[in-house]
Amino acid sequence: MAEVLSMRGVTRDYSVGGSFAKKQTLRALRGIDLGVEKGRTLGLVGESGCGKSTLARILLGVETPSAGEVLVGGKPIESYDRIERARLIQPVFQDPYSSLNPRMTVEAIIAAPMRVRGERGRSLQTKVRELAGEVGLPRHLVEAYPSQLSGGQRQRVAIARALIGEPEILICDEPTSALDVSVQSQILNLLHNLKSQLDLTMILISHNLAVVHHLADEVAVMYLGQIVERGPSREIFEKASHPYSEALLKAVLPPRAGARLPEKALEAEFPSPVNPPSGCTFHPRCPKAQALCAQQMPEKSGTEHIYRCHFPNN
Amino acid sequence: MPSDTRILSVKGLNVEIPVPGAILRPVRGVSFDVGRGETVAVVGESGCGKSLTALAIMGLLPRQAKVRSEALHLNDESLEAASAKRWRQLRGDRIAMIFQDPMTALDPCYRIGDQMCEILLQHCKMSKSDAIVRSIDLLAKVGIPAPTERLKQYPHQLSGGLRQRVMIAMALLCEPELIIADEPTTALDVTIQAQILRLLRDIQRETNIGLLLITHDLGVVAGMADRIVVMYGGEVVEVGTCDQVLAKPLHPYTEGLVRSIPVPGETQQGETLGYIPGVVPKQVGELVACGFVERCPYAREACRAGAVSLRDAADGRLMRCILPVDGSGRDPAVWFLPEGEDTESTTKNGSI
Repeated sequence: MAEVLSMRGVTRDYSVGGSFAKKQTLRALRGIDLGVEKGRTLGLVGESGCGKSTLARILLGVETPSAGEVLVGGKPIESYDRIERARLIQPVFQDPYSSLNPRMTVEAIIAAPMRVRGERGRSLQTKVRELAGEVGLPRHLVEAYPSQLSGGQRQRVAIARALIGEPEILICDEPTSALDVSVQSQILNLLHNLKSQLDLTMILISHNLAVVHHLADEVAVMYLGQIVERGPSREIFEKASHPYSEALLKAVLPPRAGARLPEKALEAEFPSPVNPPSGCTFHPRCPKAQALCAQQMPEKSGTEHIYRCHFPNN
Repeated sequence: MPSDTRILSVKGLNVEIPVPGAILRPVRGVSFDVGRGETVAVVGESGCGKSLTALAIMGLLPRQAKVRSEALHLNDESLEAASAKRWRQLRGDRIAMIFQDPMTALDPCYRIGDQMCEILLQHCKMSKSDAIVRSIDLLAKVGIPAPTERLKQYPHQLSGGLRQRVMIAMALLCEPELIIADEPTTALDVTIQAQILRLLRDIQRETNIGLLLITHDLGVVAGMADRIVVMYGGEVVEVGTCDQVLAKPLHPYTEGLVRSIPVPGETQQGETLGYIPGVVPKQVGELVACGFVERCPYAREACRAGAVSLRDAADGRLMRCILPVDGSGRDPAVWFLPEGEDTESTTKNGSI
């Protein structure tokens, strides 16, 4: 099937420092190749600072890559103007407390993307109310303000606002991490239903592997601006090839009787992206690292299931 | 638990906060004990009163909040009667606290070393040079590389994981008997979370400190706790050993929590997850029914007849629910019903 969204060699550099400190280059993304097929959900996981949010910002078009290209529906993302781009790609952000305008009613918030396109009147109102019902907002809350809503209800409003323009691609950046677990499950159920009903293509960014496992068809694991492993969700969760993916999976703490802390947690901390380690950037933390790892960056191996490691688990 | 190993004993703890026109009661009659070398986890969602309970035990609530209790004992000393001066001696010395966000808990204007030494100079009457030696020892103990250099750094020069290690080292400086950790790993990445939890567990085993862990994350609880105290709406709704509560939750709220969490390898992709309808009620006035009745899928007439008290269930567990403990009359399917129009209706008052 055709890829709705693809990235080829996307790199993004930031210049940090200046005035007092020495000017340095921070390479947030280094040569990302990624493709998502229509109706599929790609989960992006990695620790804070690995570049997953930069990637989301590039996909949304609020940030431009320093090198490489992003194709949406086969055409470069720059060839669309802002309104066209917003019609294709919509975000759902992490914190529904700051992503909704407190001075607009729920109805106005959900309708806003359509008003930008010049739609007005009764048909829009009907559409907003229908959609509010579909995302599980009680009817009487349509005229409420965000401050009158619970966290779960706010996130439903954010989802409705993203969906009203019938976008092709939904980018969810940590959609449930600001919510309590009992509400998180409702939002996960909703996202899963919407995804199958509307044939949505979704990019799900999360540090919570349980959430990714629940929704994603494919998983890409990022480390220091690179995708170190990528493949079908089931394969990654059952037999991860890259030691970093394995370590992330082991760090999940299941809420079950008899579950114990992982005996061997990943040592050391996430390195600075300003001066990354030589060779494979994961080698200082890797339990399997050998001399070769410090010298040479491993090439990509595999076709369906891709990983970058000299000594993968098999 | 034998009384000789008990460090902290809380009985009938109430917190009342006057607001214009009403009195909020975010903590109602909370009781539990923490033994030497024991980890007790207080779990619940936001607004259930778990953090206020911790602050009340530490005597850190603002003055307008009224704290009443039948008993609040550290070893055999009553904390309610403690003077402000005595509190200052206890905090940081006998009881230490680790907060959620180490960036706001550390003072950005002072070096790590100054902040650590201050505690030792105040509480242990050490000389400055001894205090520096002890600080370096503890930084090394919590796994911070190059501790001597770290002492001279400011909090912003450290990563989140290192800052939380500094917080733990500070908590350990005076060899306290009880550590209260309020969401100690919520601000950290999963890999760093595992490191910090292991550190806390190892140190606790070594020193036999009592640990009161406040968290919303049942995964953290499963890995760390000996006993669980589940709170909902300011009340304790279930108490039991960690394995008992997670394997067979008795209170419907605990059951709802356990059923709503996806677990890789157990729940299937896209499988419908259980959920708890509604929102946490406001804690105003006296309860005249079960506090969970508005959200409980098992709710029946009898639940509205009056406030429910905490009762003994099987195997030394406690629960605040009138349902039989053997699980009869419960059909787990109720947790997965499609959402109705008003499942998450607007906030209801606690006084029904």
